[in-house]
Amino acid sequence: MSHSALTPQLPTSPARKDNEVSEQKGSTQVTAPQQTPGQFGAGQVLVEARGLQKSFGIRKILRNVDFTMNKGDITVIIGKSGSGKSTLLRALAGLTDPDEGEIVVDGHTVFAEQKRTKEWENIRSEVGMVFQTYTLWPHMNVLDNLVLAPRKTRGVGAAEGRDRAEAALAEVGMAHHILSRPTQLSGGERQRVAIARALMMKPKLLLCDEITSALDPPVAAEVLDVLRRLKEEDGIAVALVTHDMAFASKAADRVVFFHEGEIAVNATPEAAFDNCDNEDLKKFVDAVRF
Amino acid sequence: MNGYKFDWDVVANALPSMLQGLGLTLQITVITIVLSMILAIPVAVGRMSKIEVIRWAAQGYIEIFRCTPLLVQLFWIFYALPALTGVTLPGYASAVIALTANLTAFMAETYRSGFQSVPVEQVEAGRMLQLNRFQQLRYIIVPQAMRQQLPVILSLNISLFKDTALVSTIAVSDLMFISNTISAQNYRALEIFTLAAFIYFAIAFPVSLITSAIERRMQNNAALGGASRTSIWARMMPGARVVVASR
Repeated sequence: MSHSALTPQLPTSPARKDNEVSEQKGSTQVTAPQQTPGQFGAGQVLVEARGLQKSFGIRKILRNVDFTMNKGDITVIIGKSGSGKSTLLRALAGLTDPDEGEIVVDGHTVFAEQKRTKEWENIRSEVGMVFQTYTLWPHMNVLDNLVLAPRKTRGVGAAEGRDRAEAALAEVGMAHHILSRPTQLSGGERQRVAIARALMMKPKLLLCDEITSALDPPVAAEVLDVLRRLKEEDGIAVALVTHDMAFASKAADRVVFFHEGEIAVNATPEAAFDNCDNEDLKKFVDAVRF
Repeated sequence: MNGYKFDWDVVANALPSMLQGLGLTLQITVITIVLSMILAIPVAVGRMSKIEVIRWAAQGYIEIFRCTPLLVQLFWIFYALPALTGVTLPGYASAVIALTANLTAFMAETYRSGFQSVPVEQVEAGRMLQLNRFQQLRYIIVPQAMRQQLPVILSLNISLFKDTALVSTIAVSDLMFISNTISAQNYRALEIFTLAAFIYFAIAFPVSLITSAIERRMQNNAALGGASRTSIWARMMPGARVVVASR
């Protein structure tokens, strides 16, 4: 079966026409010339990470990683466990500090010279994250889960908080569960509420770390559909670690393949899945598909 | 029964004085519990600190009070501390200090265990939503840790209530001290100490039942996240089975 079988009804967009294939470090590197770090059109780049390195003990997890994301894009990050995908997301989220490198979010340098900059505090509200495990607080109902942070960190009033919670829940199709307890929700419903909770802080970038890995395929598809709507309707950029190749093919603007701590492929879905001769990516896609 | 004849008049006569002693026992218990529950929070946080000096200090405190007998701690504060500081503390104050210091050590370990049982992702979710460390502790960690550890906390409090009997050794006129005094006066140890045991039991047993009920309810909730359909009394009964509610 060819990789094209994974990409039914691929939409065409201008960004997807600008691919070229180049050799780098012995592996095939597919890049979009207009998205090389430092050459982006002003106002288009949301995230730019340069030379990120991270080790845990003697194990190097990130090896000189350069990563970029445009505003309103969905970037799907794939790769084997331990290849550095989640570490990259956590570095962007501010949960893990890289050993080396620089991170720029929306034009603000948020990490440089081995520490978070003062600008991070101003910009961090633009970055939301949804985790692999269900991280709703079980001792609160859905409404309280959503309004806690806006009320405590931004002084949002009770009535406004509820209005915003209702709107955020409506966006993910969970408005009717506003007074439910997390324990009364299914896995997919909890992840949708977790996305709504992240939306309460009005992020420009939503980082999703394997949020569908514990869900059945139809439920996972519902959750991923929510992310697609957020991109299309609200222009929220999404960086998603997933093994759902069908979603990557259909909805992603970019596919980033991590291999042994490096970005081996960074391309559009067509280029990554159909025209790429990176053997590691081919093996990975075959393994995930079956 | 060795031909022993119970004298119930002795019980009736001793009861008012013993209830007075019970009042002091309960007072010491409540003060100690309240102080310990508050003081244990910084000790538990210190025990998990990334700063080694703070972590070692907290752990040292906990181990000292966990690994020495409460009676020794009581005597040390009542008899030895004055030699060190030149300040003699009254028996009541010594009792409260020793019991509080002891319970705080156990309570801190209970809190720590509860804090660490909260999944780290839940705390990170709070961080991502810009809650500061105090807010994470106040709204995410402590409420869950308390619920998780409530049975253990109640068990510790029952133990503390019984352990207050030790303060009679430093002349604090609690229930045990009064019982001992009356028994020495009328030589009716059987009636007096049986009554004392009954009073301790009458206070501790309901709390123990409540502890069991809470534990079962938590197991039930953990099983499915719903409320149990069994009655409160059925849940209290020792050995009662957990009934999983249908959704």
